[in-house]
Amino acid sequence: MDTSITTLPFPAVVGEGTRARTRVDHKTSEEAALVRRVQARDEMAFREVVERYQSKVFSIIFGILRNRNDAEDIAQQVFAKVYFSIKNFDFRSSLLTWIYKITVNECYDYLRKKRVRKLVYESDFSQEDAQRMEASEPAVDGAVPADTRLAQRDLILKLLSKVSEEERSLILLKEVEGHSVEELAGMTGLNENTIKVKLFRTRQKLLRAAGRLTRTR
Amino acid sequence: MHREIRDHIEDVLRGGDTLKDAREHLAQCDECRTELRSMQEQTALIRELRAPADFADDLRPGFYARVMERIEAEGPISIWNLFIESAFGRRIAVASLALALLIGVYVVTSERAAEDSTIALESQQATTEQIFVAGEDAPAREITRVDQSQTDESSQDAVLANLVTYREQ
Repeated sequence: MDTSITTLPFPAVVGEGTRARTRVDHKTSEEAALVRRVQARDEMAFREVVERYQSKVFSIIFGILRNRNDAEDIAQQVFAKVYFSIKNFDFRSSLLTWIYKITVNECYDYLRKKRVRKLVYESDFSQEDAQRMEASEPAVDGAVPADTRLAQRDLILKLLSKVSEEERSLILLKEVEGHSVEELAGMTGLNENTIKVKLFRTRQKLLRAAGRLTRTR
Repeated sequence: MHREIRDHIEDVLRGGDTLKDAREHLAQCDECRTELRSMQEQTALIRELRAPADFADDLRPGFYARVMERIEAEGPISIWNLFIESAFGRRIAVASLALALLIGVYVVTSERAAEDSTIALESQQATTEQIFVAGEDAPAREITRVDQSQTDESSQDAVLANLVTYREQ
């Protein structure tokens, strides 16, 4: 028997340890441990969540609503909702992504309840109104007049209400918060191609909604 | 929008270097150019929803305490809380129980009365039939049955009259 024959090594098996990580594991991180403590009704853990994310939540709300008076009220509501709903958190996304979605939804609930009767928001903004608005404050150095900016904000908020919660959160995380596709994939637990497809479809939906709005005027 | 642009749309909107293929396609395709321009305008509007650079996070001190107050005020509401915690609810609960008790007593007593009258009727019928039972050696006699519906005094009189006028065949 030839003892010089070298035993071939077992072929390398691609498993958890060797596969390139395309997803962040939201179940075993430090953040996940914090979430579990909140789910167990650990008040110190919940306080930590509030203190960690209150600035971000406030900034999101103010960015959308530009109303400081109501921003704190909505921020309180967001964290109350976090407290009552955290038992349903499934660790598929990051905690920030989840809180972001709740925050945006609360802003939209607030807008619906307030029934903000901005001209554009109520779809009765006509060409004459647009011209009147632009004429009321002459542009300085090419800057967009304040009234037009307000009308544009209202328009985009209305268009964003036409897409699903997930699509709205995704596009806002991308464009408002400035996250890359790679970061969004890590935050949401979806792969990058799925993120790209969802973003593209959301953009198309927004364009179609804008087109319908223009036709009804 | 054609695939050459669609596949790189995020890079294009970010302002990154567009791939050569994408650039060449945009130079030739009006449809993609128009749609891309619309998406760029729309993206610029969405970015306006960012909080301003000079935004100061000036949440009033005690924000956490106010959150906890709101949580306590909005605690999960159980239907039983409406009966236990409110005076009016407690009165409603007591009144409902009393009503349920009255209905139960009425149902039970009604059933008993119905049972008693049924038993009385059956025993009277049995008594009436016994009177007409023939003896061993006697010839068969016509058995007159008392009409079951006659349970009052007149029917008793009828029975006695039959007894009196009864004649052996």
